[in-house]
Amino acid sequence: MLHLLKIDLKKLTSYRTFWVVCGLYFLTIGFSTASGMEFLKWLANTFDKFGSSLNIDRIPLYHFPDVWLNLVWWSGFFKVLLGIMVVISISNEYTYRTLRQNIIDGLSRWEFLASKILTNLLLSLISVVLIFIIALVTGFIYTPEINWNYVFTDIEFYPAYLLELFTFLSYALMLGIFVQRSGLTIILLLLSYMLEAIVKANIDDYFPWLIPYFPMESISALVPIPFYRYAFQEIQDYVDPAAVAIASAWMILFNYFSYLKLKRSDL
Amino acid sequence: MDTVLTTRHLTKDFGRLRAVDDLSFEVKRGQVFGLLGPNGSGKTTTLGMLMGVVNPTVGEFSWFGEIPNHHVRKKIGAVLEHPIFYPYLTGQKNLELNAMIKQCPEENIPGVLELVELADRRNDKYKTYSLGMKQRLAIASALLNEPTVLILDEPTNGLDPMGIAEIRELIKKIAANGKTIILASHLLDEVQKVCSHFAILKKGRLVHVGPVDDVGKGAETVEVKADLPDFTEVLMQFPGTASILPENGVFLVTLREDFHSKDLNAFLIERGVVANHLVTKRKSLEKVFLEILSEPR
Ligand SMILES: Nc1ncnc2c1ncn2[C@@H]1O[C@H](COP(=O)(O)OP(=O)(O)OP(=O)(O)O)[C@@H](O)[C@H]1O
Ligand SMILES: [Mg+2]
Repeated sequence: MLHLLKIDLKKLTSYRTFWVVCGLYFLTIGFSTASGMEFLKWLANTFDKFGSSLNIDRIPLYHFPDVWLNLVWWSGFFKVLLGIMVVISISNEYTYRTLRQNIIDGLSRWEFLASKILTNLLLSLISVVLIFIIALVTGFIYTPEINWNYVFTDIEFYPAYLLELFTFLSYALMLGIFVQRSGLTIILLLLSYMLEAIVKANIDDYFPWLIPYFPMESISALVPIPFYRYAFQEIQDYVDPAAVAIASAWMILFNYFSYLKLKRSDL
Repeated sequence: MDTVLTTRHLTKDFGRLRAVDDLSFEVKRGQVFGLLGPNGSGKTTTLGMLMGVVNPTVGEFSWFGEIPNHHVRKKIGAVLEHPIFYPYLTGQKNLELNAMIKQCPEENIPGVLELVELADRRNDKYKTYSLGMKQRLAIASALLNEPTVLILDEPTNGLDPMGIAEIRELIKKIAANGKTIILASHLLDEVQKVCSHFAILKKGRLVHVGPVDDVGKGAETVEVKADLPDFTEVLMQFPGTASILPENGVFLVTLREDFHSKDLNAFLIERGVVANHLVTKRKSLEKVFLEILSEPR
């Protein structure tokens, strides 16, 4: 297993685009999550009215346990960047025909796919760990009174976040394997949410119960929008088991479809 | 002699096109097996099936008597059609990656780079290489795992004459170590020089398979010339003459079986005729190739 991961990392770590895209991604989620509070303070200082009408110290964005969900939900938006990287990595293998050569050299098709899946898992894990550390540190900085009962509440959103990222990257990988050209695949990846939204809007009147089963919907449902709790005092502070089940099913299906396609095609 | 490769009824359809049609042949250990055929006759497709990148429509094959799997492929070095590497990696890094995939020690890399004379360019990116250098790197990569079987698909494509000669020597050297080589090529005199056996494909069908040595067998042809007005008459009197064909001032004499050019020479000397030109024409592989392909099937 580790061997396969090393093979894929060997391909990526000398590839400039990989560092640029991943660097952009990790810097963006790192800085934006770490500096949210400073940004609010800056807003408050710049626009006096904003500061006086709202006591920013009382916005519990970075308070335990809210900080866990808030940061995870926010950084979830940027997973598209990682998805683009995954698409580039797999479509390169097609355009350079190196997938063919890898098989000739002695990888099995499954091993080739596994090396890509393992990279997806690694990228997801790094994101989760990064956000976890940032949430932990900022939580301790900004929470006015640390109540140890609350510090590690809601931390179950981290496995959910991992599943969110990994399922999305599995989807990106599958798109890449089916479409094989990076430009078109990236466009499809970006349009996925919109296309799904159109379908959902059309069937909403007839089969509303179907909605949670859509792939993008199920990925988004893993980490719910946190701000309702501020607006409506309506709190979903748990991970919906149904969402986990549906997203896991999609995750398995995406990778399985990739496998079937790879196994059947002539390279 | 043990069998390295067996194919049975190997067939590949691309949509309506049958690229490889019911191919059955064997390659034994130590053979240098030439795979010949015009463009589009299915050579690369066949090799692609043998290396697991093209799924056969019908039929099967086995390497070393085993059902094919990816572990077997690690023991085979193969270059199909044109070299394939990661353009943004250096030659060295590309080979390191290949060593990881083939699970062979990286210590083999300097040796093979030396062999193909790329050692001083090893830290340049692959995309900056010339065609011949790419081709050499591909050969280096095929030799990396000290393979027992080497598959080469037009390996001298794009090489300079020196490079071609080097590759020929390399193939001979590797073959002399008892390794098995399968070579697809259009350079028929190359094949004749290095191969022990050959097969000819035509529109995906196997139309001939046999040892290269058999090519020279059969009726001998002698090209002969003498400054004599009635030279044809003299030639007619030779009991070994089957037919005479005048061509550009020389005569092409096809001999009957069991007669050789030295018999003709002895006959002429006996008659007091001195030939100023006498050459034995062996049948070339090229000729056999063209003959076989022009046979209606
Ligand atoms: N992926 C593919 N899809 C459709 N047809 C293909 C594909 N690959 C090969 N073919 C067809 O199969 C036939 C055999 O092709 P192949 O490349 O095996 O020929 P070849 O003997 O290697 O020719 P050459 O001497 O030109 O290299 C050709 O008619 C080709 O067009
Ligand atoms: Mg070919």
